[in-house]
Amino acid sequence: MPDEARLAAADQPLVFRPKPERPPPTSSIGVLGWMRANLFSSVSNALLTLLGAYIAIVFFTAIINWALVDAVWEASNRRECLDRVGRAGACWPGVIAWIPNLLYGLYPKDQVWRINIAFLILVAWALPLWLPRVRSKVGIGLSAVLLYPFLASYFFHGGAKDLLWTALIALGMAAFAWVWLTTLSERTTGLPFGAVVARLTGAPEDDEAATRTRARIAYAVLYLVAVGVTTQWSLSEVSTRYWGGLFLTLVISGFGITFSLPAGVMLALGRRSQMPFISLCSTAFIELFRSVPLITILFMFNTMLPLFLPVGVEVNRLVRAIVAVCLFAAAYMAEIVRGGLQAIPRGQYEAASAVGLGFWQSTALVIMPQALRIMIPTIVGNFIGLFKDTTLVSIIGLFDLLSMARAVGEDTTWLGLFLEPFFFITMIYFVFCFLMSQYSLNLERKLGAGQRR
Amino acid sequence: MARAAATAQPAAATARLSSLVNDSFARAIFYQLLTAAILVGGIWYLVSNTIANLSQRGMAAGFDFLDYTAGFNIVFTLIPYREGDSYFRVFQVGIANTLLVAVIGIVLATLIGLVMGLARLSTNWLIRTMARWYVEILRNTPLLLQIIAWYFGFFNLLPVPRQSFDWGGAFFLNNRGFYFPAPVPQDGFGWTGVALGLGIVAAVAIHRWARRRLEATGQSFPSVLAGVGLIVLLPTATFLATGSPLGWDIPALRGFNFRGGLSVPPTFCALIVALAIYTSCFIAEIVRAGIQSVSHGQTEAARALGVKPSRIMRFVILPQALRVIIPPLISQYLNLTKNSSLAIAIGFPDLVSVWMNTSLNQSGRAIPIVAMTMAFYCAVSLSVSLLMNLYNRRVQITER
Repeated sequence: MPDEARLAAADQPLVFRPKPERPPPTSSIGVLGWMRANLFSSVSNALLTLLGAYIAIVFFTAIINWALVDAVWEASNRRECLDRVGRAGACWPGVIAWIPNLLYGLYPKDQVWRINIAFLILVAWALPLWLPRVRSKVGIGLSAVLLYPFLASYFFHGGAKDLLWTALIALGMAAFAWVWLTTLSERTTGLPFGAVVARLTGAPEDDEAATRTRARIAYAVLYLVAVGVTTQWSLSEVSTRYWGGLFLTLVISGFGITFSLPAGVMLALGRRSQMPFISLCSTAFIELFRSVPLITILFMFNTMLPLFLPVGVEVNRLVRAIVAVCLFAAAYMAEIVRGGLQAIPRGQYEAASAVGLGFWQSTALVIMPQALRIMIPTIVGNFIGLFKDTTLVSIIGLFDLLSMARAVGEDTTWLGLFLEPFFFITMIYFVFCFLMSQYSLNLERKLGAGQRR
Repeated sequence: MARAAATAQPAAATARLSSLVNDSFARAIFYQLLTAAILVGGIWYLVSNTIANLSQRGMAAGFDFLDYTAGFNIVFTLIPYREGDSYFRVFQVGIANTLLVAVIGIVLATLIGLVMGLARLSTNWLIRTMARWYVEILRNTPLLLQIIAWYFGFFNLLPVPRQSFDWGGAFFLNNRGFYFPAPVPQDGFGWTGVALGLGIVAAVAIHRWARRRLEATGQSFPSVLAGVGLIVLLPTATFLATGSPLGWDIPALRGFNFRGGLSVPPTFCALIVALAIYTSCFIAEIVRAGIQSVSHGQTEAARALGVKPSRIMRFVILPQALRVIIPPLISQYLNLTKNSSLAIAIGFPDLVSVWMNTSLNQSGRAIPIVAMTMAFYCAVSLSVSLLMNLYNRRVQITER
């Protein structure tokens, strides 16, 4: 029978029939294979894995036990916490009770809404930058950097305003209105707000001069309305002495970040300048501020700024700190920008002057856009450093997030409670810095798309 | 003809004027003069204000106070200091303490950073991930927060001296600080030092000779092993031959505190630990980036030539990676030195703390004190960057 079958098969044309594929050895695929390749590839690796796992488990169980399992969530003072769990568990009620102070410092409780509103305005101001089909992004970004501070400082500080101050606040308000009107008009009609107004009032489409005039009139009306609103609008004064917590940290780092980039660009251009005296001045400034610690600069401004100003002029502490932080950050930024400028090949400068661009035009239109793209990771790294460095203002007596956290342990109700507030603000700092660094990676990937090999 | 000349004249004058505006040399001079004028005006304004302020507040400027008695105590000094010493001595004490923190911090940060950098490149997923989160978490939180947390959250909460942590009855850690034995050289200990010096000289000589021979003949000699042997064995042999002339002053509990030995205060421990750990994160990233910057082709080429794996790292990868690693590493060392000024937050007496804070508040000489402090940091930074430039020039790849 088998013979017959074989004979029958021999009549058929010979066809190659591969055996079914055997599955790969179980030790090289799936979870097991991954573990083998990544955790237990050799004896020494296996030992390392076990050691690492042991350390990780000990560390995490300790943290989780302390922060969650053994922690006390409701108590009226520290004594109560200590009686319940001793030092084995965290005493969170102290931190919870202090959260308003950690966020806003000693800012009057009934005025805290002003900070929140100002913060929401910033978010709303910057939001169009991420919206598609909005074309005036440069204008929106610049207005946020240049004009938002006026509006925000009135929200934060309030009080009486003179003519100049009213004009500036109104400028901020009008700019905010313009940002959203333009965003809406560009998203619906594809035209900027001024052009839409010109169309609506009957200016012919191809008459550029008329369009421009009507757009200007529209802005002027917008501004006058803002001035009117500003004169009617008043907020009670909150002295900077009461500013504190995360709010103060963000104010100082916000000032530092917005000031340091343009100042750094100017200093870097100055240092690379062909004019020896300007180059010398820029270099001296950069090297001096980079070679001393920030704390000495803060001390210097704290003790010497009152001496430098005319007799009788008082500068408030916060302003001294902000000036010091801004100058310090500018010096660091200058070196980063210089690095970016150096990376641009000479041909780019030569090509720019060959097409007839002057120094400022070629810098702004050809060199800087390329240099800034290369510099993004370092610039964001610098911002992160600046954000962390604002903690130093606590040494010269400002109540930033860190000093508020220290104050928890000095409060008589929560005496000696240090670890928990530190743990809490560590997480705040970490989240901010980590998000910034991840965003910069993301931005780098997006902007570098054309450069990728 | 005459009309043509008449119109040409004003045109020529305008041309001269416009050429002056368009001439980059003339413009450069103008801008620089403008800058100089603004600078001089600004400085004059500041100086005149300062003089007015100083005279109004009855403050003096000048360096004569350096000889005055400081009259305050300093809890920890590396060099001898008494309460009656001058302000200038305080300045020196501050510098010595700052440099001590910087040196110890740099050594520890380098060791931890090296281990963490290599761990980040490990083929072991767990080790790699742990190292990554170590770096991410610690470098994304402020150093000042870490220093304060180490101090208030750990070193300040240690037990009292009676219940201190005890390692072998010689090292003690408690809330008064860290205590360790002090070496007490006796007669004849100098010979060990001489032997150490000789050993180092001999090791360097052997290393040079081995290198020359390697370049000339291609024969290698284990000069590093021989050098380490010489440096260790020669002094040890001398030490034993001269009869072990070194005593140890071991700290011991007397009453409520330890006596004898050497000690550092808890503020010092907190500062060192925080600085070393924080800086180690940046060093780890530098090491990782440096090693990754050497293209994989180098490893493959070395393997293709049959170089032993143990030698690939030492002779192929490391020399190329170091060129990338060293400049940012040095700048991290400088950062650590500058960051040691945060000692003031927990009260460790470094330069900024004893000089820019205590001395300034007590003597009121703001200008000379600020100037001297800045001059010290500037001198350190500028001399290090000078050395750095020399090094860079030496190791730079000479292309074309």
